[in-house]
Amino acid sequence: MNRNIIIIGEHHEGTISPGTLELLDFSRALGSPFPEIILLGSDIFSLAENLAERTGCAVTLINGEHLNLYSAELYQKALLEVLRPRDERTLCIAFSHTSLGFDLAPALAHALQAPCISSVEDIEESSFVRSIFGGKLQSVVTPQNGPVVLTVLPGAFSPDRTPPEKSGHMRIVDVSVAPVSMIPQGERASEYRDSGLHDADVIVSAGRGIGKKENLSLISALASLFPRSALGASRAVCDLGWMEYRHQIGTTGQTVSPKLYIACGISGAIQHTSGMKNAQTIIAINSDPNAAIFSVSHYAIVEDLLSFIPVLMEEYTHPPG
Amino acid sequence: MKILVCIKQVCDSSETLVHDTDPPWVRPSPATVFRMNRFDEFALEEALLIGERFPGTEIHALSVGPSRVCTTIRKALEMGASHGIHLCIEKELYLSGEDTASIIAGYARDKGYDLILTGIMSEDTMHCQVGQYLGALLVLPCITSVISEEISPDDARVVVEREIESGRRQAFLVKMPVVLTIQSGINRPRYPSLSNVLRARSQDLETCEAEHLGSPAFRQKIAAIRYPDAGKKGTFIQGDSRQKARELLSILHEKSLLSWR
Repeated sequence: MNRNIIIIGEHHEGTISPGTLELLDFSRALGSPFPEIILLGSDIFSLAENLAERTGCAVTLINGEHLNLYSAELYQKALLEVLRPRDERTLCIAFSHTSLGFDLAPALAHALQAPCISSVEDIEESSFVRSIFGGKLQSVVTPQNGPVVLTVLPGAFSPDRTPPEKSGHMRIVDVSVAPVSMIPQGERASEYRDSGLHDADVIVSAGRGIGKKENLSLISALASLFPRSALGASRAVCDLGWMEYRHQIGTTGQTVSPKLYIACGISGAIQHTSGMKNAQTIIAINSDPNAAIFSVSHYAIVEDLLSFIPVLMEEYTHPPG
Repeated sequence: MKILVCIKQVCDSSETLVHDTDPPWVRPSPATVFRMNRFDEFALEEALLIGERFPGTEIHALSVGPSRVCTTIRKALEMGASHGIHLCIEKELYLSGEDTASIIAGYARDKGYDLILTGIMSEDTMHCQVGQYLGALLVLPCITSVISEEISPDDARVVVEREIESGRRQAFLVKMPVVLTIQSGINRPRYPSLSNVLRARSQDLETCEAEHLGSPAFRQKIAAIRYPDAGKKGTFIQGDSRQKARELLSILHEKSLLSWR
């Protein structure tokens, strides 16, 4: 029996999200290069058509007047109108592990009586690999037989795709779902912008490992060695009030790709690394040799920051011989 | 108002854990130190702040796990929760988000909570699922990644903001009862006060055997636990700290990122 893989696509401001294209690569790795893509929205016909052309995949557009704003309630109801009759043939329903994906996947899995496995990074036969304990360990998870609902970690698969020979089919399903218990009140932009992160060639970032706020002076000193540099931070550092949220890099902060990224005392949870792993050169300094940040770094230095940065500054100012 | 806060006990460092193979999972060693999941600290603090705004609010702190988790429930009482609930599973076993939520839902179903709060995810299993499953199982709306909430107690309406990518925010209007999963940074979790520490000392916890609360579906199992592939790691710069500093400076110099010498 031909088993389906269904991808739940996302779009933002008229553009298909990169995570959706990564899901195509994920599907290919599962053995299905042309999965069905479901898009939800209100009057986004050309976006859906364009997606079918670009990918060669069948695209189902669930169209409804209230689907322009996301809510778990609306999107779940709309998806179930399309998904429920086809459970048996469905192998896997995949979301990106985004604020939409992780919000919706468990409730949808519950409705379909399917297991839900989140932040999947890799596939091994019929099992899924995901990080646990802040990336220090990995678990290989095997779902029961039947359909499984997954969220796939952004960045774990490639968004690149060779153009298809022919366009995929597009169909439109009109739904008339309306908000009942959860009324969307709109969206607003971040309060935290403009910290120079996007213009910087070099970003020096602080994590919880700096120990206390006062030690930020060391991070600033290190950054001052580079002409076009800016200070970044992990979410934990902002939560502790040591730096403002406008410096936060990661899933709920800013995504950056400078020439050089120096991660100081950052453990390297995926919420942070998803925002910086495309930097050209990544250097991580951490006293823990098993820190997850080292797995995305080009150069790893196992040292205590508080003693290492002063030595580094000294060597810079007074080079040997 | 009656608030349930679901908290998880996590280990401070996964390096002290022992890896089992049958079934594959981890269990604590004598060196393992436990604490409250950080995201749940924010959820508890948010409940306490709501309690301060609406006097008479009951705040129940609940945790699922072996008897070791009682220390974390006590910590919640010390921070100011009014009642502690232990849903006991004696074995160290892997629970999916759905499994944990089905045990909690079995307890919470008929208790009349107006708000159920929990952290957005746990630091150990990192599922990011329990709140959403609780909503599904109890047929309540659930909003995840909550960064602010405003409650009008008269008509039970709550305006909730959730944080999404790039710090953007989505707002929703919901009616209690509702499940909220709390994003970190929404508040500053407090330290226990002496009076609460003393009160917590003499307070009994409510204990329920998890097996009496409905059986988890166990729709997934762990096939293996392992360390991430070391081959993916970059170059570890070797030597003493001075040698490492020089090596790093020369790499930066070669890459034209810094002029040195």
